[in-house]
Parts: sequence; C-alpha cells; structure tokens
Amino acid sequence: MARIIFGKKTPSWIIGRTLTHLVLIIFTLAVGLPFFWMITTALKSPAEVATFPPIWWPKTIKWDNFSKAWATAPFGRFYINSFVTAITGVLLEVSIAALSAYAFACIRFKYRDLFFLVMLAALMIPSQIALIPNYVILSKLKWINTYKGIVIPYVSSVFGTFLLRQYFLSVPSSLYEAAEIDGLSHFKTLIYIALPLAKPVLGTLVLYIFIGKWNNYLWPLIVTTKQRMRTLPVGLAMVRDAEYAIGPEHLMAAAIFVLVPVLIVYFFSQRKLIEAIAAGAVKG
Amino acid sequence: MKKRNLVWILLLAVLFLSSPLFAQAKSEAKPEGPIKIVYWRSLTGVAGESQDEVVRRFNASRNDIIVEAEFQGAYAEILQKMTAAVAAGDMPDVVLLDSPHMPIFAKNGVLVDLGQYVKDEPKGFIDDYIPGLLADGYYHGTLYALPAMRSTPLLYVNGDMLAAAGLPRRAPETWDELREWGKKLTKINAKGELEQSAVGLTTGLTTAHWYFQGAVYAFGGLVSDEDFGIHLTDAPALELAQLWQDMVFKDRSAIPSNSHDDFFNKKVAMVFGSTGSMGNVYSRADFQVIPAFLPGQKQNLVPVGGAVIAMPKTGDTWKQWAAWEFLKYFTGTESQAYLARLTGYMPNSYSASKDPELVAYYNANPQWKVAIDQLNYVRPQASVISLPKGTAILQQMVEKLIIANRDVKTVMEETTADLKKEYNDNY
Amino acid sequence: MTRRAKRDALTFALFTFPNFLLLTVFVFWPIFYSLFLSFFKWDMIAPKKRFIGLENYRVMFTDPVFWLVTKNTLILSVWVVVLKLVISLGLALVMNRDLKGRSFYQAIIFSPTFTTSVAVAMVWRWILEPDYGLLRVFMRPFGIAPINWIESTTHSLPAVIIVLIWVGIGYDMVIFLAGLKNIPPELYDAGLVDGVNPLQEFIHITFPLLSPTTFFLTITGFISALKSFDIISILTGGGPLNSSNVLVHFLYENAFRWFKTGYASALALLLFVVIMTITLIQNRLSKRWVHY
Repeated sequence: MARIIFGKKTPSWIIGRTLTHLVLIIFTLAVGLPFFWMITTALKSPAEVATFPPIWWPKTIKWDNFSKAWATAPFGRFYINSFVTAITGVLLEVSIAALSAYAFACIRFKYRDLFFLVMLAALMIPSQIALIPNYVILSKLKWINTYKGIVIPYVSSVFGTFLLRQYFLSVPSSLYEAAEIDGLSHFKTLIYIALPLAKPVLGTLVLYIFIGKWNNYLWPLIVTTKQRMRTLPVGLAMVRDAEYAIGPEHLMAAAIFVLVPVLIVYFFSQRKLIEAIAAGAVKG
Repeated sequence: MKKRNLVWILLLAVLFLSSPLFAQAKSEAKPEGPIKIVYWRSLTGVAGESQDEVVRRFNASRNDIIVEAEFQGAYAEILQKMTAAVAAGDMPDVVLLDSPHMPIFAKNGVLVDLGQYVKDEPKGFIDDYIPGLLADGYYHGTLYALPAMRSTPLLYVNGDMLAAAGLPRRAPETWDELREWGKKLTKINAKGELEQSAVGLTTGLTTAHWYFQGAVYAFGGLVSDEDFGIHLTDAPALELAQLWQDMVFKDRSAIPSNSHDDFFNKKVAMVFGSTGSMGNVYSRADFQVIPAFLPGQKQNLVPVGGAVIAMPKTGDTWKQWAAWEFLKYFTGTESQAYLARLTGYMPNSYSASKDPELVAYYNANPQWKVAIDQLNYVRPQASVISLPKGTAILQQMVEKLIIANRDVKTVMEETTADLKKEYNDNY
Repeated sequence: MTRRAKRDALTFALFTFPNFLLLTVFVFWPIFYSLFLSFFKWDMIAPKKRFIGLENYRVMFTDPVFWLVTKNTLILSVWVVVLKLVISLGLALVMNRDLKGRSFYQAIIFSPTFTTSVAVAMVWRWILEPDYGLLRVFMRPFGIAPINWIESTTHSLPAVIIVLIWVGIGYDMVIFLAGLKNIPPELYDAGLVDGVNPLQEFIHITFPLLSPTTFFLTITGFISALKSFDIISILTGGGPLNSSNVLVHFLYENAFRWFKTGYASALALLLFVVIMTITLIQNRLSKRWVHY
C-alpha cells in the first residue's frame, strides 16, 4: 500500500503523503476551528464580536466576560449538581453491572440464559418511550427535583453488564470452580477474582459512563424544575433565554464553562477511550 | 319562666360562639420563629437583581417571615415548572407568573382566592392599583393575582441611525410613518444583500405574539375577545398582516428578528422590546436609544404584559398568611417605586407612581416616563394566550407571514382554525 | 434442587435484582404505560384522564405537522448517516498508514464525540450567524451571500445536518480504522501481486471486507439520528415553522410544553415501533452477514 519500491521514497509517494497530510489538516481544522472560535469570541469585547471580516484574536482580552456569564445563572450550583449526579450514577451503574455480569458469567442457574435474553432485549428499547411514563412515576414518588430522580432511572446497566461479562468469561470456568471449592462466597469471588480480570476495561467503562451522564440533557431538563437542582447542560440552555442582557461573548464564555471539564477528561484519556471503542467494535 | 331562661341561654351561647376568643382558639397558634416561604421568580439582569433586592429588604424589615427567592428561568419555564409542581404536589408559596398564564392555574383551582385577604385590608387598598394593570389578575370575577412587574411593549429606536438617514430623532408615530421612514433606512448593497433595515419584527417563541397584538390593536382590531371569539380574519388584522409582509418582502425595510443583537449590531434601526428591558438595552447600546410607544395607526392601544404575582394553595394557613404579607410588600408603593426606577417596569399603583423619588427620577430621566404615559392606553392581552398552545400558534402565524411569505388571508384562516381547535381541546 | 443449587439460585436473584427491578420499572413498564396513555386525553395535571380510543392516532396520521416532522426526521437521518460514512471512511483510509502525527489528528477529529451537545449547539449557532459568524469567512471567497441558516425554512434542517455530521465523523472514523486493521494484509499483498490499482483494491478487497463495519455504523447511526433532540432543541428550536423539527423534539413539545400527554404518547409509541423494527431487522441481517 505504501508504494515504496526497494526502500526508496518515490516522488509519487511524497506527493501522496503531502496530499494525505493536507486532507487531514483540513479536516482537523474543520473540527478544531469551532472550539478556537468559541474561545476567541469569549475573550472579545462586544465591538470586536460584531465585525466582519472577523478579528481572530482580541486586542485586549476581556476576562470579565467570564464573570458576567457566570453571574447570569448559578453555575456553581450547576457544577455541583452535575458532579453529584454523574458520580453517584456511575458508581451505581458500574456496581449493578458488575453484579449482573458476574451472575450471568459465573453462577449456574436454570433460567440464566432466558434472563440474559430479556436483558439484551432491553438494549434495543429506545429511551424516548420512557420519558413521559418515567416522569409520571417520579412525580407520584415525589422524586421530581431530587438527585435520585435524575440518577435512578438511568442506572440500569445492559451495555456495561454485557461488556464485563465478556471479561469475566475470559478465563476457564475451572478458576471459578476452584474458588468455590475453597469456600469463597460468590461476592468475594466477584471482588477478588472476576473484577481484576476486567481491569483493562474498567477505567474506560467508568469514564465512558461518566461522560454520558455529565452530558445528559433531555432527562434532567424534564425532571428538574428548580434552578437549584439543574445540571450544567440544562442550566446552560436556560442562559440562552436571558433577554437582552447578554451577547455572544457571554454565551461563548458560558459554553466554555460547560465544555472544559469534559474536554479535560477527554484529553487525558483519549487514547484509552479510542482504543476501547475500536476494540469493542471489532469484537461485536 | 322556663322559656325565658332558654332564650337567655341561647343568646349567651350565640354570643359565646361568635366571640373572637373562641375563633382564636380554633385556629393554630402562630408558629415560633420565622416562617419560611419560597418565591419562584423569573427575569434576569437588572429585573432579576432588583427583585432579589426587594426580597432582601422584606427579610430585613421583619423577623417573623423569611422569603427564599428562586430563579426559575423565563416565563415559559415557570409555566412548565408550575405544572410539574402541581402534579408533584410541590408548589412554591409565591410565584411570579406571566399574566396570560394565570388563568390556567386559576381554572384548575391551584391559586388562592385573594379576595379573602383583600377584604381585611384598609379601604381603598384595591382601588390604589391602576385598573388597566389590575384587570388581568381576575379570572371569572375572582381576584387571584396582583400586578407585580407589569410592562407594555415599546419601540426602541436608534436615534443616531435615524439622524444619519436624515430623519428626525424621534420614533415614528404611526405604522404609515414607519413605512415611509423605512424607505430611507433600508440599505441594500451592490450585491443585492440587505445591509441595514428599519425594523426587526420579533419572531421569538414567547414574544412574537405580544408585539403582533400591539400592532393589531393599533389598527383598531383584536386577536381574540373575552369569550375566545377569534378576530384574526377581520379587516384590521388582515391589513396589519399585509403591511408587515409587504415591509419584509417588498420594501425590505423589516426583517424577522429572533435576537436583539440585530439592534445592538445596528442591523436594524428599530426593534421591539418591553418596558422591563429598558435597563438592559441602555447598558448594552453604544448609541442614542429612544424608547417610544408602539406605532399607532387608528389608535394607540397596547396589550399589557409582564408578570402578576400569585399564591398557590399549599394548604398551610400560616405560610399563606406570610405569602400575603410578602405579596403586599412586593406590590406596595415602596417596592414598586424602587422596581420601576431600576428596571423600567411600570409602577402598579397610583401611590407608587406619585412616589416623590420616582417622580424626581422620571423628571431627571424623561425616557423612563414613556412607561407611565402608556398606562393610559392599555388593555389586557388576548384571551387565547392563556391556552397552552396559544402563543406557539400565534408565533407560527407570524413566521408564516414574514418568513414563509404565505398568502395573508389563508394564514389568518388557518390560525383561526388552530386556535379554535386548541380552545376546544381545553375547555 | 441441591442445597448448592438453591444457594446459587438465591445469589443469582440477589445479584441481578437491582438491574432487573430498574429495567422493569424504567424501561419495560413504560412501553405499556405509553401505550395505555395514548388512548387518553390528559394534561398531566387533571386527576382524571379522558378515554378517547384511537383518536390520538387518527389525529396523528392526519396532522400535517406530524408528517412534516417525520419527513424531516427521515431526511436528516439519511443525509447524516450517508455523509458521515463517506467522510469518515475517506478519513480512515487516508489515516490507515504509518503516519507522523496520526494520533494527534485522531485525537482532534474524535474530540466532538464526547462534548456536551448543548454547548456545541450554542457555539454552532454563533458560527452560523449570517453576518459575523465563522462560516461566513469560508463562504465569502466563493461569493456566497450571507445565509440566515437559523431563520430560514429551507436552510434550518441543513444546518442541523451539518452540526450532527461534525459531531459524528470522529466516532465513525475510529470504528472504520478498527475495521480496516482487521483486514488481513495478505489479501492486499495478493492484490499487489495481481497488479491492482488503489481503486480496484478498494472496490474488491477493502470495501467488501469492511461491510460488517459499514453495516453496523449505518444501522446504529440511523437509529441514533432518528432519536436526535439536543442539537435541534438549542440550534433552531425546531423552527421556523417546523422546518427543522424532528420526532423526539415534537414529542417533547407536545408532552411538556402543550400538555398533550396522550398525543405525545402515541408519538412515542410510533417511534418505538419504528426503531424496534429496524433493530430487529439489523439483528436478523447481521447474523447472516457474519458468515462470509
């Protein structure tokens, strides 16, 4: 494929490479420019924002755009809500996944496969069918505007269970049988034998679920009616409606508040995340 | 002899039963310590901060009630939140409602009848409120809400742009004049692109209907009457709709506008806004701003908008009493004068509008006086606004007219049918 | 049952109970409750619901807005999937070699995948601003006049499509790269020996062997596009005049803005049936596909 003939880089190879890099640079710019544009707008003054051709970097950086944007809504509160719900959500979901995965992989039970099929069926069900019913259920339970209302409906785990089960099954069953003979309870077996098998993917799974919960918009939008309980995405959407009071520079600053944590997490873990996703695709 | 004794005993019994002593013993004792009540409020910027200040002053002025203000988003959000809260049984003690939303909750029995509190107030209490502003606090004759932050729609004009076009530094007085001026204010460049326009016509989800109403009233028409009769196919509405459409597509002197940035970026010379946004407009504009009445035509008449303040039935007697005390304070002279001075919302009572500090402020800053003067030309909003889908149907009508450029008569007929259907769905 | 078997059964039940309880209440039960609600007229506040039989469905199938919204959803889904696949496959092919800076390119192109859609939509709203937005910079050299994407009935849906593609190409590209890696290099060597050019290589070797991946991405991408909500909600709000409105957003408006709970439930049922059908078809077909 490289068309290297006898180790020499032919002219056609060089042209090919250059074109390759050109194409990639164009697309990388296409993806990266919006982020850059967001940042520079957030640093501009109103006059610099409303110019064409655009100014690529402001003459003087208006740091107070951030404080003004922060003041338009209780972002501190939004951050706390997002953290609390995302972290408890992840912990619950991963625990539930681990328990279920172990049960399906390692516990002998007559109807095990049947239950597994039922669970897989759940994977096919689109979550939108549950929006109204879940809202009605929660309002009867008086869980509207509570952390549990935001978290609980979404901690059942099918994908995570499926994934962990694969890893738990990656060793011969004799290992588990030996543990059984040694008198280990199922729970201990899960913790000391099965879970370590999933170590390579556990961290990535946690991150993946965490980011998903952090970014969740529609459900928290429906289930929170008090500003005090809103998560970041919902709070950000509210800011957009603020009449006359803020301009694009403040909106971009607010967008930065919301994107920064996710982007930080992403850049520290992107290699692992990409690997895991690629691996998952190959397997299944 | 026996009968007479019986009569005396009966009389005494009646006296005893109706004595305040007995009544007092029946009701619960006032709780010790401050009563905490929750106030759901809307609006951001100056309008939001000034409300928080009023709450702060109320809390500082007494130690038997503490009000906790919670910002709940825009009016549309509060409507959703209240609906959810009613379903969840988790309502605030005091709520700021967009005036057309009040009937929805009054109809479902969610709000407290304020009449029971008003009758214990000194005489003249209710008459002090300006009638045009108090009118839409009533539903089927019962008072459910007091005027809180009332506003009327205004035309904000960029004086500098007008002067540059050779026009006088004032707002056009009628739609005809606006159209005339529009010709001078519209700039189209060599490529046929519209560089500058005269006016931005609002297409926002929660605001489009309001300014449309104002324009229809100017032409002597109505959107809907008290009994939900729809008047969009009457001559005034048709005339107005055609004018808007022609200004957008023939003259190119008007553009559909979903954001106020068009005004601050000088893309349009005039834009619609509420009296309540005046603080924000002035703080962001770097040119001369002239606030003015909506253009008249056959008459000057505008729909009152803004918010009313009401008390949901939480069932807690003392919390409701506390809520009433807060309601009185919030709609009282001092608070209203303060709010009006800071935000451009209108003082809701005669006493408030005569407050010496406010009067001095208006004299020193005549532009704020526009709000007061327009109080002579107000009427409640169209009844259809209170329907859940009402404002959305009207917003889509505006979009059909000035974005899709569809035949005016057809659009009005469609909208009438949609509104009638929505009415039937709900009543 | 032996004692051990009994104990195992109990442990199984205990371990899987939380998951199945949650699934039953929040995933399975809603299907039936939605179906139930779709036969009623209810505003979520009133204590009594009014039974109206199939009326919601009749209204739905005669509602021009419903058909417009459905059309938009389908157009959006097809365009997004097709363009995403084409672009990301191209990128994957280009990147599938020993390239300097490859992981850098990949990291950037993949980054929108995990971003918060609300923030992304707000940034793009600003990019699409007709006079001062970033996009105008790239349109000007081609002599294109400023386009008001958000307020145009013809351009609002394309705007949404553009943003959705922007968000999704990174993910598809990574999956394609994994699929490409899986193709045994001996096949290419055989091709080289036979003297095939790159185009023939692609048509006869690469693409056929990528077909499971392509199929997987097409179906999951399509289903995911059918469920779009976030971007539309913030970018255009479904407007103007429902020109960019899609099924889930229409559902949200009906249920949570206009309190037409029954009608919205009928919409939800429809979406559910459509997606389940596609998913089942995918299952059937992919089983057949694996044996090649």
